[in-house]
Amino acid sequence: MQDVVPDALSIETAGLVKRYGEIVALDRVDLAVPRAAVGLLGPNGAGKSTLLRILLGLSRPNGGSARVLGRDAVADGRELRMRVGYMPETDTLPDNATAADFVAHMAEMSGVPRRAARQRAADVLYQVGLNEERYRLVKGFSTGMKQRVKLAQAIVHDPELVFLDEPTNGLDPLGREEMLDLIDRIHRQLGILVVLSSHILDDVERVCDYVVVLDGGQVVASQPLRVPEDDTADLHVRVDGDPGPFLKRLEELSLEARPAGIEYTSDEFVVARDGNRSLDAIRDAAAATDSPLRLLRPAKRSLEELYVDSVGAGANGARGRRRANKR
Amino acid sequence: MSIAPGQYGEIFDRGYRHYDGPRLGQAQAIWALARYSMARSLGMRRPWTVKIIPMVLYAAVSIPVLIAIGIRAFFPAFEFLAYPEFFGAIFLLVGIFVALIAPEMMSSDRHDRLLPLYFSRPIGRSSYVLAKLLATGLLTLSMSLLPAVVLWLGNGLLATEPVTALRAGLGDLGRIVVAGTMIAFYLGSIGLLISSFTGRKSVAVGVIILGFVLSESLAIALIEAFRDQPDLMRWAFAISPSRTIATLVGQLFGERDIGADVPLNSALLVMAAVIAICCAVMFAWYQRRD
Repeated sequence: MQDVVPDALSIETAGLVKRYGEIVALDRVDLAVPRAAVGLLGPNGAGKSTLLRILLGLSRPNGGSARVLGRDAVADGRELRMRVGYMPETDTLPDNATAADFVAHMAEMSGVPRRAARQRAADVLYQVGLNEERYRLVKGFSTGMKQRVKLAQAIVHDPELVFLDEPTNGLDPLGREEMLDLIDRIHRQLGILVVLSSHILDDVERVCDYVVVLDGGQVVASQPLRVPEDDTADLHVRVDGDPGPFLKRLEELSLEARPAGIEYTSDEFVVARDGNRSLDAIRDAAAATDSPLRLLRPAKRSLEELYVDSVGAGANGARGRRRANKR
Repeated sequence: MSIAPGQYGEIFDRGYRHYDGPRLGQAQAIWALARYSMARSLGMRRPWTVKIIPMVLYAAVSIPVLIAIGIRAFFPAFEFLAYPEFFGAIFLLVGIFVALIAPEMMSSDRHDRLLPLYFSRPIGRSSYVLAKLLATGLLTLSMSLLPAVVLWLGNGLLATEPVTALRAGLGDLGRIVVAGTMIAFYLGSIGLLISSFTGRKSVAVGVIILGFVLSESLAIALIEAFRDQPDLMRWAFAISPSRTIATLVGQLFGERDIGADVPLNSALLVMAAVIAICCAVMFAWYQRRD
């Protein structure tokens, strides 16, 4: 995990524990998340929604502490909630209200005076692409439009940070693209910090700079998504034809090669980096075995690889701990 | 012909603007929620079909008052609608009104899953309940108190000497305010409590109305059961909202034959206790968090 300056943190937790009876939903969660667009990943039941609820002060932890924007999520909950927004996963809109009325009402609930609330509602609905439709009843809206209204109410009071829980749920591919564009804009152009909870890797990869992976109630990864490439990274290699002789030659040169990962074709490999010797060995092996070298670049670890690795490893440990707790 | 720049309008930048205005406190949030809840319960900014029943109930309460004032204007000596009669007549209407608005206040928010949205705002759980109590109380006051005050004003202003009549009627005004306010918060808190347990408005409406009917049947049964024990029988009124309200009104206006034969303070105490219990249960219920 990258080093972070304490006052640059958006979320900090220490030993956070949440139990529902015998089920441990969060198990000693320690986090130090920088001010960025943060993706909260994990399979169903990993503890994502529980963590969001605690960070919003909607749920009390059984142990540990949680701070958001430098404020204690439990003790300073009211003040904190003036500075954050929340877009829940579930369908949470009154059918018999117009989008403009409801969003203005939610602005007032955050302390914005009445006249300013109506103005803010109109502005924000325009920003999320619901200008003409804002005086229509919500019950006539498509799923995509309802998601936009939910997003609008989450940012209408101009929060510093907005929690988005599965914002692309139920959207068709086009709607999903538009929603991700909006979220990206909220962060990059409007300067609002985003915490995006999702089980869709693409969504997180698209808009987030930092990722936290939860599994079995534990943090199994917490790191920046885009690590600057350097000359110590392993090498991603592809050769045409049968790679067998090429790999054998690399082995003879004492270099380890492994398949490049689940999203690559079977003739792509990652070769362990050993300074410039690796580059020379790959060149020599390709020349000696007459294997046309089609790709040679620093290997990047995809989010999918990170997720599969960390959730796989974390799941074994977490399940063991859960059983241990039950015993 | 030349066109001056800006003659046909200007192009505005509608880019996102950060909000740097004031952020008001809890009181504003409570009042905003109460106002929004009242407007939705009355069907404002909603289809006309939602507005029908509240408007019919308002008409049903107002028409007798207007008729009484009209009769008073033409036949000053004829008293068409005394205050105890008025409160006795409107109990059913106020009960139906509460059965209509209380589920709209509480059950709708559960049904539409708005609670996580509200509780993710600065408003606390207690403030949420307080806002709903305020909204229900104010709306019910418009049924239980406002028409009675209009009737009192009409009686006074149409008297031969209006100033003297109004001054002499200040005692009645006080009794009207006490009766109207107690009825509003008593029935309102019962309706809200029932509605807070379900997200289905139709269920809440049914349970409230059924509760009023069954409580009356239970009170009658208790009266029959305790016929040999007058001390116990007198308190059977506390089971039934209609008998409790009748007792309050009877004792307030000195009509001893209306309601149970208990002191005024007893009726007030029963109503205050019911309001307090309903509020306590609601506050505890909404404080629950996982």
